[in-house]
Amino acid sequence: MNIILIFIAATIVNNIVLTYFLGICPFLGVSSKIESAVGMGLAATFVMTLAATVTWLIYHNILVRFNVPFLEYVSFILVIASLVQIVEMFIRKFSPDLYRALGIYLPLITTNCAILGLTLFMVLREYNFLESIVFGFGSGVGFTLVLLIMAGIREELEFADVPEAFKGAPLTLIISGLLALAFMGFSGIISTS
Amino acid sequence: MSSVRLYMEFFKGFWKENPAFRQLLGMCPLLAVTTSVINGVSMGIAMTFVLISTSIVVSLIRKIVPNQVRIATFTIIIATFVTIADLYLRAKFPPISKALGPYVPLIVVNCIILGRQEAFAKKNPLYRSFLDALGMGLGFTLALLLLGAIRELLGSGSILGIQILGTWFEPWVIMILPAGAFITLGFLIALMNVIDQRLKRTA
Amino acid sequence: MNISAHMIIVLTVVCLFSGLSLVYMNQYAEPLIKINAEKATQEAIFKVLPDVKNVETIERGERVIFKGLNEEGELVGYAFVAEGSGYQGIIKIMVGIDSELGKLTGIDILESVETPGLGAKITEDNFKGQFSGVSVLPAIDYVKGKKPENPNEIQTITGATVSSRSVVNILNATIKEVKEIVKETGPSGEGENE
Repeated sequence: MNIILIFIAATIVNNIVLTYFLGICPFLGVSSKIESAVGMGLAATFVMTLAATVTWLIYHNILVRFNVPFLEYVSFILVIASLVQIVEMFIRKFSPDLYRALGIYLPLITTNCAILGLTLFMVLREYNFLESIVFGFGSGVGFTLVLLIMAGIREELEFADVPEAFKGAPLTLIISGLLALAFMGFSGIISTS
Repeated sequence: MSSVRLYMEFFKGFWKENPAFRQLLGMCPLLAVTTSVINGVSMGIAMTFVLISTSIVVSLIRKIVPNQVRIATFTIIIATFVTIADLYLRAKFPPISKALGPYVPLIVVNCIILGRQEAFAKKNPLYRSFLDALGMGLGFTLALLLLGAIRELLGSGSILGIQILGTWFEPWVIMILPAGAFITLGFLIALMNVIDQRLKRTA
Repeated sequence: MNISAHMIIVLTVVCLFSGLSLVYMNQYAEPLIKINAEKATQEAIFKVLPDVKNVETIERGERVIFKGLNEEGELVGYAFVAEGSGYQGIIKIMVGIDSELGKLTGIDILESVETPGLGAKITEDNFKGQFSGVSVLPAIDYVKGKKPENPNEIQTITGATVSSRSVVNILNATIKEVKEIVKETGPSGEGENE
């Protein structure tokens, strides 16, 4: 039951972008077309789930065991960067089509605060192994969801008459704000009683 | 190196190449910690510390780092300074550390820091890299200050914890919520675009 | 020197410097961080258990209960940390209960991320103050929209029922656990099985 709650919380109740502001950079840059949104979202979800798994193992079996928890940030970011590198090489070798589709998004994922952010949260909230994997996956799904919604809205907005000063980032930010407001309606789905 | 050029190196981080408003980098902390002025400025100082330290080290070792491992090297250096800053805050300023929470370690992936190494510190001498870092850091802190001031004033009626607006003011709670952060920043950037256009027209 | 060796050497040196500076920094910071955490807990205990001069601890696995003693060494009450999920996230509460485990002496909200302006009001004295003197028998209960009539009732915050309710539920769940542990140990004033 707890696993399901964690998943729902990560995807909609405490959406990683709209509640925790993680993943904004790619969010602003990649959300203008539905296709790129899907690509980025899938790549990110895959890396997030993988990252949650590997970093959890490293944290509990190495950092805690050798009493060096302060090496958390350095080791996590190195792991994430390496993971992205490996995933990129893997995809390039086994599916050139997919590689061409995802293109530049893969390396961008490394600096996606969402990945490091979720691994940090996972440690803070003391999730166990299974909970961490679900949390990573759920965050990825939540990220993709919001990316898709935003891409859909922005594709429609292409036909709207937007004032010059608002074009691009300002408008996307304001829409995100409205989305964040809307998603607040999901709070309270999970409660103790 | 003329002193005018050096002067420009420092000041470009404030308006022309402001990392937050112009380059649209560092959005995550910008939106997350600006619920009050003190939180925003603390984050700015922490980030500036990491940026300056990293730029100094990178600039010093720029000639001996092979190209292929530069990103990994820069990242390790950044993560080290972030850990130092985080440990320091937790030891000496626990309430601020608590308020900033996980966003201090997230400075590691703040695109501004890695961006400045790639764009500047790896190919410039020490004193110029230092000025660049200082300017960018302060420019970002300025953005944090501005957003923090607006959100705190309208959302709690105070600045730096001191009540400015009396009890007649019903706080706009939305300003403290994520939605308010997004919307305020959106309008701020639009405003800067307008100002920019006006300046271009009169120039 | 060929490129590969060069790369490996640079990376190793950087990692070494990073590791060493972090170990050094950690040695400086760790004791300070521990002291800060202890100070915060002590302050919270004194807030919920007035007149306490000394604190002893009872530990049962992960549960830690603080015994508050006054100047004469008599038991004033117990304090413990209760936590659980609220509306937006986890709520952590320092709870003070009297020596007979019948009434709360007070609560202090240690951590919460409830909605500002609504659920966040649980940190305000209007709400928190209600718990000073509230009876825990048979359990703490809440009423909406009217003044409490019974000694074990508190009134929820208008517009923040879930946050208020969460606090009550968290308290009840933990009080039950604490009572069992204290019964096992026996109150110090009677000098039983310690």
